[in-house]
Amino acid sequence: MTTENNNLEREEAVVVALKATFPDLTARVKRIRRVEASVSKALTPSVLVHAKNVLGYKALSHISCVDWIEDEHFELVYILWNPDEKIQLLIKTLISRENATMENIDTIWRQANTYQREMREMFGIEFPGFVGAKEFLLEDWDDMPPMRRDFDTKEFVKEAFFLRPGREDAKDVRDTIAKRSKEEIPEFAKKYSREK
Amino acid sequence: MDTNDKGVRKIVDMITGFARSNSLFMLAYGTGCGDIEIPPAMTSRYDWERFGYRKMATPRQADVLLISGYLATKTLKRVIRSYEQMQEPKYVVAFGSCTINGGMYWDSYNTIKMLDHYIPVDVYINGCMPRPEAVMSGLFDLQEQIKKGEANGAQKYRENLEWYRGNQKKVIKNWVMPEYNW
Repeated sequence: MTTENNNLEREEAVVVALKATFPDLTARVKRIRRVEASVSKALTPSVLVHAKNVLGYKALSHISCVDWIEDEHFELVYILWNPDEKIQLLIKTLISRENATMENIDTIWRQANTYQREMREMFGIEFPGFVGAKEFLLEDWDDMPPMRRDFDTKEFVKEAFFLRPGREDAKDVRDTIAKRSKEEIPEFAKKYSREK
Repeated sequence: MDTNDKGVRKIVDMITGFARSNSLFMLAYGTGCGDIEIPPAMTSRYDWERFGYRKMATPRQADVLLISGYLATKTLKRVIRSYEQMQEPKYVVAFGSCTINGGMYWDSYNTIKMLDHYIPVDVYINGCMPRPEAVMSGLFDLQEQIKKGEANGAQKYRENLEWYRGNQKKVIKNWVMPEYNW
């Protein structure tokens, strides 16, 4: 298999195979060796089981989470890998941001346990029936899950830690150099200046 | 600093200071990315063992606690525990800008910004990362301080334990560590 091979037949076949079993799902070829499918929340576990047992996507590489705060939902991306076909399959699903819950899938892949623990801690997504150690990376965390986009990191840092004074003196490097060497800053670059 | 009745430093202190400064045992505990600078410093390239520095396996055998880089609050708990287990005389060398003002993690939700608010720091080494030369230069400063009897971080910690504890408990909410008993 070479990189010059722009023939997407194998990827198209995956889309067809997915659509044959699950007519509701939308799938498309993203590029060579990468297929993407959007699935409803309820259908996700069965699609994952089907992909693993029938289509040969044996490995779960990662579960990632995207916070679409404007649309008020989280997007979970299950990244699967087929070691025989060498194709990556992204299964995306949207869940509500309020009281976010998702089906526990660590019975399908054991490594999902780790990713679910991380998502529980960093985004506050609950997985009913999921047994895993309570803490993942943070210790004694009692605030909002920190990876949510409405978590104000700067405010939290100001309250929780001591900040050494002097950092606000940091000058714009470009401006400082220009002033020192009496250089003219182009008009388009001025809007990026930190000096008001 | 202990002085004799003439207000001069005791000779025995000068001798112990000299002896201590020339055999610094460090706790081999890398907290952040900065610990990658230690292997070149201690192996043949920079060979800091010629100055009497050695790495020690346990806090109870060590004199110097090297804080190499950023400290997550989770790591801070272990650092405090290690520091309190060390026998006096004990010194803290913090290197990397992360320990001074947070460095590139200055707005991170899980790393502390000013180490000297949690444990007393004798020498700060600036840089991100400081080169092994800089680390050794900082350790020379520490040696000078020990010779002069000025490296008294442990004493500062003992005298202001309440202030340090208050700061530590502000970050470490579930405090399950034993009391400090020297």
